[in-house]
Amino acid sequence: MTQDVAAKHQAGVAARKAEMRAAQLAAGVEHLLEVKDLHVEFRMQDGVAKAINGVSFHLDERETLAILGESGSGKSVTAQAIMGILDTPPGYVTGGEVLFQGTDMLKMTYRERAKYRGPKISMIFQDALSSLNPVFPVGWQIAEMFRKHRGMNRSDAYAEAVRLMERVKIPAAKERVKAFPHQFSGGMRQRIMIAMAISLDPWVLIADEPTTALDVTVQAQIMDLLKELQEESGMGLILITHDLGVVASVADRIAVMYAGRLVETSAIGPLYAHPLHPYTKGLLESVPRLDQKGQELLAIGGLPPNLLRMPEGCPFNPRCRYAFDECRTGAPPPLREVEPGRFAACYVAGEV
Amino acid sequence: MGKFIVRRLLQMIPVILGTTFLIFMMVYALPGDPTDGRCGQRPCPPQYVEAFRREYNLDKPVIVQYLLYLAKLLTGDFGTAYNGKTVLHELSIRYPVTIKLALIAIAIEAVIGIAAGILAAIRKGKFIDNLVTVSTLLLISFPVFVIGGLCQLVFGLQLGWFPVTATEGTWEQLVLPGIVLASLSVAYTARLTRTSLVENLRADYVRTARAKGLTVPRTIAVHALRNSLIPVVTYIGASFGALMGGAIVTERIFNINGIGGYIYKSIHDRDGTALVGTVLCLVVVYLVVNLLVDILYGVLDPRMSHD
Repeated sequence: MTQDVAAKHQAGVAARKAEMRAAQLAAGVEHLLEVKDLHVEFRMQDGVAKAINGVSFHLDERETLAILGESGSGKSVTAQAIMGILDTPPGYVTGGEVLFQGTDMLKMTYRERAKYRGPKISMIFQDALSSLNPVFPVGWQIAEMFRKHRGMNRSDAYAEAVRLMERVKIPAAKERVKAFPHQFSGGMRQRIMIAMAISLDPWVLIADEPTTALDVTVQAQIMDLLKELQEESGMGLILITHDLGVVASVADRIAVMYAGRLVETSAIGPLYAHPLHPYTKGLLESVPRLDQKGQELLAIGGLPPNLLRMPEGCPFNPRCRYAFDECRTGAPPPLREVEPGRFAACYVAGEV
Repeated sequence: MGKFIVRRLLQMIPVILGTTFLIFMMVYALPGDPTDGRCGQRPCPPQYVEAFRREYNLDKPVIVQYLLYLAKLLTGDFGTAYNGKTVLHELSIRYPVTIKLALIAIAIEAVIGIAAGILAAIRKGKFIDNLVTVSTLLLISFPVFVIGGLCQLVFGLQLGWFPVTATEGTWEQLVLPGIVLASLSVAYTARLTRTSLVENLRADYVRTARAKGLTVPRTIAVHALRNSLIPVVTYIGASFGALMGGAIVTERIFNINGIGGYIYKSIHDRDGTALVGTVLCLVVVYLVVNLLVDILYGVLDPRMSHD
């Protein structure tokens, strides 16, 4: 495909998005995507696990929001709840709103919502090998987006698949469009996932640990690719990760999750310079640094709480160095604005 | 692919030699003599016994008998059974009936088994799932001769839906025996399909299919089912051989003139020629079906492709 066609395509997409943006502004909608007080629980045999407990955040165009947290903190569940692909049962969204350009997606039927997945909001997953269907050619899987969402015929859809594979820089895309996922390397497979996710020019892309399964050099290439695609299309990017290194180079804002709650949200720079929440501080201290070579690496002691038996008070209190009596009783501390534009859910935020 | 098929066909030669040899030896090892009881209540006259033994090479060492049999087989001659008819003639009458029976059973097994398995999987834990679990358990628990007799009684005699016996071996007659023959494997197919689909519905790529905005039917029928059917197809293919062998009981229940009855008679008569010829055909059918399954496996699962 020539550069001209690609440029023309991008121009078309940009024009379409500008129109919709104008409509959005006219309707008084502030953010591209806004999550308000989201609650998710998993109903299991041995009890109800409250996986997400009142998470709120927003995302604008061209913006990258990083959601950071340990395994089990609820970051992937948040993403799946936004996408509407939670496994139900056992997972249920029990409250809150997910507003896409002002429309609450949680009030839609499965079918209505399915129409949003792909053209409006899209997602890539951690393990591209298991996330791609092993029995269909990669081109077929990308082309399926065009065939099912845009009613394109097989050959046109395949041509689009080749265009996308070229866009995510897969060498010899034309020859490899009929190859199967297992015939690609890990990095190439993740590129195919990305090609599929951006195929219908979504407004929002959620990347759930996109580089965790890859080696370091490939990680950087994938992050660069995501950044480049975002600059071209102006989409909002939600980057879910536990890797502070990945976050630092690409994110604009960061939301730290712990036990299904946001504990700190902040612009990226100030957070690294001066974390407000003890948990964020612990996370930053646990990153190996070249200038501290030879010293012992600090780790946060203890384990994340069992979601079936959440501790009273602040969920982080059993692991917190600064916890005092108030932290151990009553409701968890609410998220409050500690500094302009910076929020933390801690009584001693900023003082530690 | 071509190479794969040629290699597999060549591999059949030792398998065929091995099975024919083993069966030949087993018949030889059976106690009693082929001429026992051939002359009514009296023992056969020595002249008859001698002539009989000479005619069927029984006077030679067993290994020579086997080699003579093989030599004939290579010319396409399956030999003559003790009743004086050629084995090939018997097989040409009886094989089509048994193949028909097995095909009906396979069709029932595939259609009903897979359909029941899919329903149970997508309604997991609901009424239909429990219904499938209980009914397949019943089918697995009952021996085939009980199911056969019950079906004859209920559907053949009392309700009159099907003929009670299938002596002529027409398609209409073979439906009820086909159902009986399939009863065990249909239960296994349903359970295997259910387990496989339930597992695949939890797979990451099914989550991806949902994230792609596909409809629920497409997510299940295209993305999950294709993967779930890989073990099921293998099982159904392998069960074809078991169905042909299992036909021995079913054919006796419904008085079907298939190979089951012939195998039974050959063992009874200690007729090595007839038995080896019949089993040889069974083995070839079994090997060919397995080859087809392996080829199909490569088509269903590109990771197993033979190219």
